[in-house]
Amino acid sequence: MTVESVEKVPPESGAPTAAAKRKRTRAENLVLVRKVWPWLFLILMIIVFSIASQTANNVTFLSFRSVQGILLYATQILLIGLGETFIIVAAGIDLSSGWVLGFSAVIAAQIMEALYAADASPAVTIGLGMIGGTLIAIIPGLLNGVLIARVKVPSFIVTVGMGFVVEGIALVRSGGYPVTHQPPYLGPLGNGSLLYYWPGHGLTFFNMPPTATTEEFQSIIPLMPNVVFVTIIVTLICWFILAKTQFGQHLYAIGGNFEAAVRAGIPVNRVLIKGYALAAVLAGIAGVIWTTRFTSGAYNAGETTTLNAIAAAVIGGASLFGGEGTIVGTIVGALIIGTITYGLVVLGVSPFWQFVAVGVVVIFAVIMDQFGRRLGK
Amino acid sequence: MAPLLQAVDLTKRFGGLTAVDSMSLDINVGEVVGLVGDNGAGKSTFIKMIAGVYPPDNGELFFNGHKVAFSGPRAARDMGIETIYQDLALAENLDVGSNIFLGREIKNRYMGGVVHTVNRPKMRDESAKVLARLDIVIPSLTQQIRNLSGGQRQSVAIARTIYWNAKMVIMDEPTAALGVAQQRDLLKLVRTLCDQGVPVIIISHNMQDVFAVADRIVVMRRGKKVGERLSKQVTPDEIVSLMVGAEAVHEMGVIPRALNGAQEAA
Repeated sequence: MTVESVEKVPPESGAPTAAAKRKRTRAENLVLVRKVWPWLFLILMIIVFSIASQTANNVTFLSFRSVQGILLYATQILLIGLGETFIIVAAGIDLSSGWVLGFSAVIAAQIMEALYAADASPAVTIGLGMIGGTLIAIIPGLLNGVLIARVKVPSFIVTVGMGFVVEGIALVRSGGYPVTHQPPYLGPLGNGSLLYYWPGHGLTFFNMPPTATTEEFQSIIPLMPNVVFVTIIVTLICWFILAKTQFGQHLYAIGGNFEAAVRAGIPVNRVLIKGYALAAVLAGIAGVIWTTRFTSGAYNAGETTTLNAIAAAVIGGASLFGGEGTIVGTIVGALIIGTITYGLVVLGVSPFWQFVAVGVVVIFAVIMDQFGRRLGK
Repeated sequence: MAPLLQAVDLTKRFGGLTAVDSMSLDINVGEVVGLVGDNGAGKSTFIKMIAGVYPPDNGELFFNGHKVAFSGPRAARDMGIETIYQDLALAENLDVGSNIFLGREIKNRYMGGVVHTVNRPKMRDESAKVLARLDIVIPSLTQQIRNLSGGQRQSVAIARTIYWNAKMVIMDEPTAALGVAQQRDLLKLVRTLCDQGVPVIIISHNMQDVFAVADRIVVMRRGKKVGERLSKQVTPDEIVSLMVGAEAVHEMGVIPRALNGAQEAA
C-alpha cells in the first residue's frame, strides 16, 4: 500500500480508517495472546512442578532425564496430534486414529513375529514390519476420507465407526492378546538413543560404548532417544506440509469457508481424502513406534491417545469449527499434557489425576479462545 | 463499438413458470448498468444465465462479439464474466493475499518441482498492487479477513475478480450489508472499475445507490424488461412505477409519497 493511495481517502472517511487501525492492533494483540498463552502455561506448569517436587519430595523436577521422559511420553500424543491438526484445520475430526495406532501396532508386530520365526534377516524383519505397519493404516484413512468427502457422511460418525472396525480387526487378528514374540534386536532400537555421552570418554552413535563395563553403563547419558528423533523429523515434515504447501493452504481454506473453497476451484474432495490418509499414516507410524518400544503389538495401544491428541491440538489453538490450528501449537499442547502426566508422577500423585488435569486445561483453552474472539469483535 | 455483452431474447422456464421471458440487454465498456425490479421479477435468474449458472432455454448470448454458450460458472469466469454474490466467497480465516489467490496460489518450486512452497510474500505484493490500482485502502494485508469491515471484504472480493482479468463484473445486492460510509466507498469502487474498462451490472433494491452509480437503469417486471432509461433522464419515482407496473400506480393514485416511503424502508 503506497502512501499516495492512503492520501486519496477523502477526509470524511478518516474516522472508519482510524477505527480499523485501532481494531487491527487489538486483533493483532489478540492473535499474540492466543499464540503465546500455551507457552506461558507450559512454563508456569514447569515452575509449579519444580517448586512442588522440590519442597514435597526434595526432587529436582527439571532434570535432563525428566525432560527426556516428558518428550518420550509426549511423542505418541504428538504423532496422533499432528494428524488431528490437519483434520481439525479442515473442520473435521478423526476419532479413529488411536485405534488405527493399535491396528498398525498389531500388524507390524505380526509381520515381524512371522519374519523372525522364518529366520529372515534383522533388516528385512524390521524393515518390512515397519513399512507394513505404517502402510496398512492408509486403508482406514482412505476409507475415512472417501466416506467423508464423497459420500458426505459427517467425519464424527465415519471415524467413530472406523475406530470400531479397525479395533475389531486388530482384536480378531491378535485374539485379544499382545503380539509378543518379537525379535530381540527390536527393543534396543525402540528404546535406544541416537547418541550416548560417556563423561570423560566422549560420544558414541546408536550404541552404548562397547568398551564400557556394566557398572560404567550407569554413568553413560543417552542423548536424543531414537523415538524422539523420529518424532522430531516427522513433526518437521508435518509443519512444512501444513504451513508451507498448497495442500496445507487448501486445508485452511476448506476449514475456513467450504463453499468458497469449492467456488475457488480447490479440489476439496481430493484434499480431504489426502488429509485423512495422511492422519492415518501418522497413526500408523505411532503404532510402529509403539511396537518397537514395547516389543509387542496390542490392539488398545492408542486407546487414550485419540482424545489426548485432540486435546493437544485444541490447547495449541486448533478450533473444532475449522480453519484454525498449527503444528507448533499442537507441539506445545502435547508438551503440556506430557508435563502434567510426568509432573504428577514425580509428585507421587496418582497418574489417574492426569485425566482431570488435562480436562481442565482443555476447557480452559477453549474459554481462552472464545474470550479472545469476543475481544476481537 | 460493439457491445461487450449482448443478450438476445434470453428465456428461462422452471416447469410452468417463465422466470425470464425474452429478455435482451446490451452492456458496453465504460458503463455501469443498474438492474432493478421487485422480488421475483427475474433479475437473479437473468444474471445467472449470463454467469453460466443456468443454461437459457431460448435466446442467444454474445460476448466480445462471439456467440457463447457456457457449460457452467467456471466457463463464464474463464471468459472474464465474474459474479460477486452477497456471501462474497472469502475464507475468513485467511489473509487478503491468500483470498485473492484462493485456489490459484503462487508457488515456489524446488528440486525440479518435487517440493513447493506457497509464496505468501509474492501473493501479498501482487494483492497490494491490484488494491492500489483500484484505490482500495486496507490497513494490513496480513490480517485475517474476519478482522476487516464489510466494505473492505467487498473490496477484496472485487479486487480478486480484477486480478484474474475480469472483463465484466456482476454484483448482486452489493450494498445490502454495508454501513453508509462503506456503501459510498463501494460505489466509488464500482465507478473506478468502470473507468478502468470493466463494465458492471449491479442488482440493487436501493434506488439511491442505483441512481448514484448507474449510467443506465434497466427495469424488470414478471420476467420481462419493462423499461430502460439513462439515469440522468429519469426520476426514482418513474423507475419505481415501472417496477410495480403502470396500472398499479394508476390504481394507487398517490404514487410518489407512498413509493418514496417504500424505497426508504427497503
